[in-house]
Amino acid sequence: MFAGFHSILRAAGLPVGVGEWLAVVEALDRGAIGPSMPEFYHVTRALVCRDEGDFDRFDQAFAAFFQGATLPEPVHALIHSWLDSPLEKPLLSPEELAALESYDLETLRKLYEERLKEQTERHDGGSHWIGTGGTSPFGQGGQHPTGMRVGEGASGRGQAVSMAKARRFKNYRSDIVLDTRQIAVAIRKLRRLEHKSRRLELDMDATIAATSRNGGEIEIIERPERRNQARIVLMLDAGGSMDPHVRTVEAFFSAMKQGGGLREVETYYFHNCVYGFVYTDMAMLHKKPLPDVLRSVPPHTYLVMVGDGWMAPREMFSPYGAIEYGMADEVPGIDRIAEIAAAFDRRAWLNPIPDNYWGESTIAALASLVPMFPMTVQGMIDAVATLMGQGDRRPRPVRKPLWPSGDDPFDGP
Amino acid sequence: MTLPTGIAPWAPDTLARWNGTPTYIADEALKSTVSVAIALGRPLLVKGEPGTGKTLLARAIAEGLGLEMLTWHIKSTTRAQDGLYLYDTVARLNDARFGDRDVRDIAQYIKLGPLGEAFDRAGKDERVVLLIDEIDKADLEFPNDLLHELDAMRFRIAETGREVVAHLRPIVIITSNAEKELPDAFLRRCVFHYIDFPSEELLTRICRVHHPDIDDKLLTAALRQFIKIRTLAELRKRPSTSELIDWLAGLRLSGIDPEKLEQTVPFAGVLLKQEKDTQRLARTDLSRIGNRR
Repeated sequence: MFAGFHSILRAAGLPVGVGEWLAVVEALDRGAIGPSMPEFYHVTRALVCRDEGDFDRFDQAFAAFFQGATLPEPVHALIHSWLDSPLEKPLLSPEELAALESYDLETLRKLYEERLKEQTERHDGGSHWIGTGGTSPFGQGGQHPTGMRVGEGASGRGQAVSMAKARRFKNYRSDIVLDTRQIAVAIRKLRRLEHKSRRLELDMDATIAATSRNGGEIEIIERPERRNQARIVLMLDAGGSMDPHVRTVEAFFSAMKQGGGLREVETYYFHNCVYGFVYTDMAMLHKKPLPDVLRSVPPHTYLVMVGDGWMAPREMFSPYGAIEYGMADEVPGIDRIAEIAAAFDRRAWLNPIPDNYWGESTIAALASLVPMFPMTVQGMIDAVATLMGQGDRRPRPVRKPLWPSGDDPFDGP
Repeated sequence: MTLPTGIAPWAPDTLARWNGTPTYIADEALKSTVSVAIALGRPLLVKGEPGTGKTLLARAIAEGLGLEMLTWHIKSTTRAQDGLYLYDTVARLNDARFGDRDVRDIAQYIKLGPLGEAFDRAGKDERVVLLIDEIDKADLEFPNDLLHELDAMRFRIAETGREVVAHLRPIVIITSNAEKELPDAFLRRCVFHYIDFPSEELLTRICRVHHPDIDDKLLTAALRQFIKIRTLAELRKRPSTSELIDWLAGLRLSGIDPEKLEQTVPFAGVLLKQEKDTQRLARTDLSRIGNRR
């Protein structure tokens, strides 16, 4: 009876293998699932999902199978991702509120569908498109009097199908974010194990040898524990053009902290390009002269830089090229990067923008000094292998067309 | 109850339905999931926001089923082997030196860990609840190292050749704070439950368990403020059930007038632990949120 359910679950992108499905069958067989829909829903969900991130997909599949609802198109998911980081909502006076058009639910739905078809990018704070913090009737955290909230369903109660349709677990979906476990596993390969810890452990072999030499009188020998001695200097671009990649960088950063078991991770921030100073905090309030940073680097330290490297050429190649007030530096940015590159034998650059943009002059210049890798799980594995001296695993430069249809929007008439 | 050799999870007729306990209020989803995990003999993996009662759940299951509970607290240095058994070589070496005990009997230097003990007792027809607390604290490979033992429900003590077999599957509850992601192969073998934040109704019941004689007005007013605070966007750490219970205790001790709660949030430090969150609350007019809904 439920065979079709299995294939719908798989179609919704849940990793339901034979093992999971047999568990569901076994639970039914043992009578562990009571004869009620909500219980069937809860139990199958517990057996099939591995993470709360899967719940949303499960809800969609459940509704699709038991109520003939359709699996939503990916465009909805994209809109939801725009709504994930909302803009603060504006404060409007009652008069302004009154001036906004009111709609009944039917008109609202129709308009939403239409706008969904037209909208192609993220919008915040406006009055027309689906976005956050605005006065358009669609979106989140906005101020429209009869607007439609996109991004959270009404909370259904009682019936399993309405529970499933409420899709309360949408916020936990994680498929847009890089898998931190995979990153952590990749980074763990970055190690230099040495007996150099303050914690002592019993050296069994040496103890037995010493005790024998002593004629059976016990002599306990201890040695420092083997610890990962790898140190990393991490330099992150916190500039405006990096905003869209903030999540990727965060995932990378937390993986670095949690899974690496590294001896030391020193983090610095810069804006667009490195000039005379780097910053020790993300808000860029505390600066440290670059030469000081480079001088204090212990030998065998790995350098990992993260940034898009995309900027106006003069920001990188001209003296005093920094566009930011207070960052002006007589040395061009590219020479500063060269100084950094000279200070680290082992270095890698992770770039979150796709590699078909890497032909841009500033990015290409950076890549010639610091080996550049895409900020994907595979890119990180390759970067770590290169840092560990297991050969150069840089992606081969392939110049893919930026716009598949061939009409480059930058090619003016 | 006599059991054939090999692994026999509970037969359907002895199927235990766990229904929460007087002090641990569970929703239907949790009750069904716990029961099915017990029936299938699979470990139950529990995730959820901190403070939603993940660790308390194991104690409540043990209490509800009248079983004893063993706890294995995982730390960053814990290895899978520690859970099975430890061989105290230094004690043996010492005994050999001073001739205190018969050192040929290695078994006396084997100390079972929590997992080993759970298996050992299950092998003697004594079912226990084993809590593996905060599995995500351990090394990345830790869950994988446990896979074989959890699957086979047996392990061999290499030093003595003794095999510890659990005929009855112990009830294994594993909690995770999602600090690290767990490997797929491990997840596939678990029954998964995410403790969702309780609904207002459930929250009221939970509060009443902890503060049986609380004034109705105070409880309603406090809950309303609490729920509003939780809906604030961009909170770094949203307050959870355990913080709510502490906050209620503070409110009761201070004898605050429930009507005053409308305007202010006294003891906000109990609810919000991060400075940024406190600032976020300070620049929000909570009464406006209520009007919008």
